[in-house]
Amino acid sequence: MTEMVTSLLRRAYSSFASHIFDVPARLLAFLLFLLFLVMPLTNPGYFIYTGEGYYILGILVVANIYAIYAASWDILAGRTGQLSLGHALFYGIGAYTVAILYKFYALPLWVTIPIGILVSVSVALLVGFPCLRVKGPYLSLVTLAFPLILTGIFFMFKDVTGGELGISSLPAIIPVPPYTINQQRLAAFYFSSLLLAVSSVILYKIANSKIGIIFVSMLDDEVASKASGINTTKYKLLAFAISALFASLAGAFAASYESSVGISMLALTMSFYPVIMTILGGIGTIYGPIIGAFILTILDRYVLKVVVSDALAHTHIIERAEDLAPWHMIIYTSVVIIFVLAWPRGVTRFVVDKLEDLEEARELEEIKKKKK
Amino acid sequence: MHLLEVENLTKRFGGLTAVNNVSFNVDEGEITGLIGPNGAGKTTLFNLISGILKPDSGTVKFKGENVTGLESHKIVNKGISRTFQVIRPFRHLPAIANVMVSCLCPRMKKKLTWLKSPERKALDMLEDVGLTEMALEPASNLSHGDLKRLEIARALALEPDLLLLDEPFSGMNPIETDYLTKSIRRMHLDGHTMVIVEHKLHALMKLVKRVIVLHYGEKIAEGSPKEVAKNKKVLEVYMGRVI
Repeated sequence: MTEMVTSLLRRAYSSFASHIFDVPARLLAFLLFLLFLVMPLTNPGYFIYTGEGYYILGILVVANIYAIYAASWDILAGRTGQLSLGHALFYGIGAYTVAILYKFYALPLWVTIPIGILVSVSVALLVGFPCLRVKGPYLSLVTLAFPLILTGIFFMFKDVTGGELGISSLPAIIPVPPYTINQQRLAAFYFSSLLLAVSSVILYKIANSKIGIIFVSMLDDEVASKASGINTTKYKLLAFAISALFASLAGAFAASYESSVGISMLALTMSFYPVIMTILGGIGTIYGPIIGAFILTILDRYVLKVVVSDALAHTHIIERAEDLAPWHMIIYTSVVIIFVLAWPRGVTRFVVDKLEDLEEARELEEIKKKKK
Repeated sequence: MHLLEVENLTKRFGGLTAVNNVSFNVDEGEITGLIGPNGAGKTTLFNLISGILKPDSGTVKFKGENVTGLESHKIVNKGISRTFQVIRPFRHLPAIANVMVSCLCPRMKKKLTWLKSPERKALDMLEDVGLTEMALEPASNLSHGDLKRLEIARALALEPDLLLLDEPFSGMNPIETDYLTKSIRRMHLDGHTMVIVEHKLHALMKLVKRVIVLHYGEKIAEGSPKEVAKNKKVLEVYMGRVI
């Protein structure tokens, strides 16, 4: 019995090792993720008892949510070429379904989140049909309209959706009472990290599977894809559904994490976040948007709001840390522009290319040594 | 019963009649040539048969079944596959994945059992056109001639009952043309039925037994290469009017 278990474990480890350790870029990603997970444990006092630790954990949870959200956009836009500019639709539906079901039926999260995903996927299939009739910029325009339409509908049924106030006081992720808010946030951090790990592995697997090949064939040339006997309509809808699934997962989690939903979840900025994050990180890679989400969320919520403002306030360039606020968006967008100009194919692609070059050089060295 | 029966096919683009009342048949196992000057409607005719365009009138019957106006992927799955005059590779995908897309359509899913994976099939097809070494290269790194062959591998991977080749020799140097002529001959021996559109009459006439000549969307002649070469109308179209 124990032998079986050990042999199974050994096989699992060797398959894991061959998948992760042999590819330098993956090893790097794995190590980063590991570091990310143990980070709160390196200084538990700070993260469990201080307000600042609480704040930083919050940023990381939001980054996790955005990472799932951006990766879901990438499989649709980066892999099949359907540049949706209304992805907030799925995010918002996931969030609002959770909120409305809790408000009226007090259903627990493990029921509402799957329902939210289901609703979102069905909407994706519905929305997909008109979207498939149009291509390129026209598709982007059509998708742009859908979250706005939903916002209108939400305002029409204010008693259900709460109108501009939204719905608040939703249950927390870990509802067991004796925990402090810091501990709850730590739990949310680990839970969202788990969700991110699982979703990104699934998305990456899909993107690199046979279905992923068909997706890219549609991105490159739809007519040729049809000439290869592929029912492109079916696969586009599939891409929409997969994308909606993970976007709504992110939305549903965000709703329960922030314990409230609001109309801002359907706003244009919400639709553009995944686009910016994906392009900055590397479109079509799946891991790119995840890194992009982390870079931008940390830049936005920590570097600009805390580090830079405090430093400027200390050196008396500005009077109070809050005075940087008007400059915030200008600096943020400038940084995005600099990133995109410096690495137009994405930050991650640049790193992966460099790592591959190093690996190649190392292999060449080895061959030379053997010849000697 | 003929394998492909095209009857009175007509397609208009506004005031221009690109294909006008064209009828012809293709029998199993034969190679048919489709020639005509630029703008004669050859590619349009291919687009009509393969479902990329819908005809204004007329019917296309394949194996006795009416396939007129069906979506192109459905027609492919019935057994008609085609190549494009202007190459349309999937540039982001490696060569082998380009061919694999064809192996993943419903038609091939039925044909490929667990004994033969789509990967294996794709590799076999690449070997047939001599691209094995390029299997893992992204299509964007391949030369024009290689891409032409990749296109044919992609069409052949569908194990079609009828193969429509749209100017397979265009942009190829003499060596590549020779190589392709040989592979088309081999495909013919394997029992493939083909319709070939071509401008390089020299290469085409060596391959085909029957030629159909189009001019301004109308069929003006049909017959063996020798007959067609003597046909007055054809000579007028190609050489100009004899005064």
